[in-house]
Amino acid sequence: MDSSKVISFNQHVVLELPSGNLKIAELRPNNSISLGKFGAFYINDIIGYPLGSRFEINYEVKEGEEGFAEDSKEKKKPKHMQKKIPIGKAKLMIETPAINETSDDNEDRSDSIGTIADELEYENSLNNKNLNIKGNPSEIQELSMAEIEEMKKQYANTNSQDIINKIIQSHKEFNLKTKYSQLKYLNRKKSKFSKEFIVHKMTGRLLLNYLIDKGDIQRIMDMSEESIGMILNYGNVKSNGKYLVIDETGGLLVYFMMERMFGHVTENDMENKKFEGEIIVIHENEHVNLDLLKFSNYSEKFIKKHIKSISILDFFEPPTEEEINNGFTKLTREELSKLSNGERNVYQRRIKGYYKQCQIVELTKNDRKYDGLIVASTLQLTQLIPRLGPKIHGSRSIICYSQFKEILLELSHELYSDLNYLAPTLMETRCRPYQSVRGKLHPLMTMRGGGGYLMWSLKVEPAPPIPSIEIEPKEDISETKNEETEAETKKQKI
Amino acid sequence: MSYFGEFKDLIQEGDLALVWISRDNIKPITVDSKEFFNTRYGSFPHRDMIGKPYGSQIAIRTKGSNKFAFIHVLQPTPELWTLSLPHRTQIVYTPDSSYIMERLNCGPNSNVIEAGTGSGSFSHAFARNVKHLYSFEFHEARYNQAKEEFEKHGLINIENNVTITHRDVCESGFTIKKGDVTSNQFKDDEEYVNLEANAIFLDLPAPWEALPHLDTVISKDESVGLCCFSPCIEQVDKTIEAMEKNGWINIQMVEIQSKQYESRRQMIRTLDDALERLRDIKSHKLEGVARRKREFENMINEEKKLDTNANKIDKKDISTQTEKPTSKKAQNNRPIIAKTKFNPFGKGSRVREGDTNFQWKQVSKVETEIKSHTSYLTFAFKTITNTRDEELFQKELEFTTSKPSSHKK
Repeated sequence: MDSSKVISFNQHVVLELPSGNLKIAELRPNNSISLGKFGAFYINDIIGYPLGSRFEINYEVKEGEEGFAEDSKEKKKPKHMQKKIPIGKAKLMIETPAINETSDDNEDRSDSIGTIADELEYENSLNNKNLNIKGNPSEIQELSMAEIEEMKKQYANTNSQDIINKIIQSHKEFNLKTKYSQLKYLNRKKSKFSKEFIVHKMTGRLLLNYLIDKGDIQRIMDMSEESIGMILNYGNVKSNGKYLVIDETGGLLVYFMMERMFGHVTENDMENKKFEGEIIVIHENEHVNLDLLKFSNYSEKFIKKHIKSISILDFFEPPTEEEINNGFTKLTREELSKLSNGERNVYQRRIKGYYKQCQIVELTKNDRKYDGLIVASTLQLTQLIPRLGPKIHGSRSIICYSQFKEILLELSHELYSDLNYLAPTLMETRCRPYQSVRGKLHPLMTMRGGGGYLMWSLKVEPAPPIPSIEIEPKEDISETKNEETEAETKKQKI
Repeated sequence: MSYFGEFKDLIQEGDLALVWISRDNIKPITVDSKEFFNTRYGSFPHRDMIGKPYGSQIAIRTKGSNKFAFIHVLQPTPELWTLSLPHRTQIVYTPDSSYIMERLNCGPNSNVIEAGTGSGSFSHAFARNVKHLYSFEFHEARYNQAKEEFEKHGLINIENNVTITHRDVCESGFTIKKGDVTSNQFKDDEEYVNLEANAIFLDLPAPWEALPHLDTVISKDESVGLCCFSPCIEQVDKTIEAMEKNGWINIQMVEIQSKQYESRRQMIRTLDDALERLRDIKSHKLEGVARRKREFENMINEEKKLDTNANKIDKKDISTQTEKPTSKKAQNNRPIIAKTKFNPFGKGSRVREGDTNFQWKQVSKVETEIKSHTSYLTFAFKTITNTRDEELFQKELEFTTSKPSSHKK
């Protein structure tokens, strides 16, 4: 089975719940997964279907065969209060196109929406004018909360559609609604009572959405998908590059880069394919934080091979080769065999440290230049970037992300005045989602704000100083904007 | 590797390079030691570039003066290539293309269909990252142009991950067969190309006509992503209709809006300084008034003196003649008022933005012309086969449960 296409064992996937919320799960064989109030299912039931499939949890289980799932949220409660979530059978659902295929092209467009409500055979109204908006909901809905709860409990005979039908039948004013608001109502109820879920392939996009759902926006510096897309393209991120990266998002940016550089990597691929690219992560704490990579489907071995980390101190003040060689002598196999277990452990730790030091020396060698600088950091950029710049090869990209435009504005001014950087550019990109229903196309009424700003520049090598001849300032080749003439003038002054 | 694929260190003979003159003026060249890059400020010999690292600034003395002209020699990237294209052509710009690539999860596992090729700007970005790009162009001249360009850039022959085909996909679909007008080199036993596409980008006037042809060329056993790029909302409506009819799900339309900012400076001009300046002007004025008053009085006095003297003119003819010059002398000897007025904002002279004699606040300003609308992006997804191979599943189950859980900690 190809784990890049098909739901596979021991893989991380993203589950989309009826409520639209996302959940990350690892698919261990013979285990179950609980979706809280939406039910629970056995992992084996979903393995082998294409990633992106939709399933419904079915509770028509024979008596005595039902199992119960453990829910992480329930575990925190005292034992007698824990709700047991029965495990149903996950059955693949065939997704039907949203509109009726026989619908006539000449029909009024708004009817394409109506057809769904029509199929359900409910009466409807042309407008909402008779709706009793001030009325007490309990008067409109004949079923009480308790009754609905009771219905939900009768998992065995009740599927979600039955519950929704009952609720609609008991809704006094359902037929006063327009087709469109009926559909909206149905969708709302579906997101509450449905037991459907989608198993998505783990992607950067979904990881990002999962974090946004969880309210971890600050942790990921308020990054948006479209900003990350720009970082990847303007940063010229590709499979054979060696990039210098500062990532304060806990590994989100690095994960996006890995997807772009390496794609989906199976164990087979690791043996048979050649992967050249490297990401060198510079961090300001003693240890690097790439916590989010734990959700990735890259093996630890692969990550270790292609993601190297180095602290800012080691990067700017690396040890010399002599220093590390003086501090450590390799033992021969013979000497090693004479060591006691404890001594061997100490030796193992020391040799690990030694290799780490060697790596630092390797990564910071003077002639080692990188294929791009990608920075999402809250360190003072006006100092940071010019200090990292010399490590970047000419004609390669520098791209910085910040939540705040002013930070990058300051940086762009700083880089304008430095001949080692060409055309610093301050950018912003926003994705505006639309309600994507035929005949009802319009931008969504609310969307997430934020998403940050970007500064892109190219590393260049200034021409060597020219022997002094009286040089008149200004006016050379550029017939361009302010900023460039300004930069040009500065070039003249060298 | 191609000029786009490999990261090159040094500029070498025969390289395709981009010469950066200014932000709006980037020109491709093929480095040739016998050639010159001509600008209206002078010509830059290519031999000055050869052997220097990419990104080097090259300087020449301009014609007929002692000024200098500069260019930067860059290695092409898809983004720089896009910037270098003349603006009149229809181009998918980086804010859109980068989002589409991200949303369709483009990477080394992607087989991408692109129709049409157009200026080839997006093709370069796809080619950098995907396993294979199948580009279709229905305009013959543009097809030939793009094919030649891709060959020159090493995308077809060196990287070998781009195929371009001359085709009206709305009419004839996406299957590439032997005998078609295409860059694909067929092997002897090969009759048609197996596209197995898992990401599709349609930049066509009527994508709904091409949509039904997709089923035969897309990957069957995985979720396939599709993006239609249309400027009009009516097109979106028809596209959604066709997507629904053809079994595409999770349809969502979005729009990308991007802006660039100019980094500028505004002089810090405080109220206190402005007040001080006016006070200064006012006091000068007062001084001037006082002076004039003094002078006027002097004048009056002198005239009076003159009058009285006139009476005595006969007697004191000589004395008046000697007195007049002295009064003129007095006028010339009036107290000198300091000319260095308080001028905190450099009024009356041209101050360059950022002049270090003044204080500045860093500000940003949206570029003068923004791309307020490029196109609507309509995304949808489809999985053709959604069954599982039960036999394979059982095997997999036995295999995973038999081996110790080696996976992760």
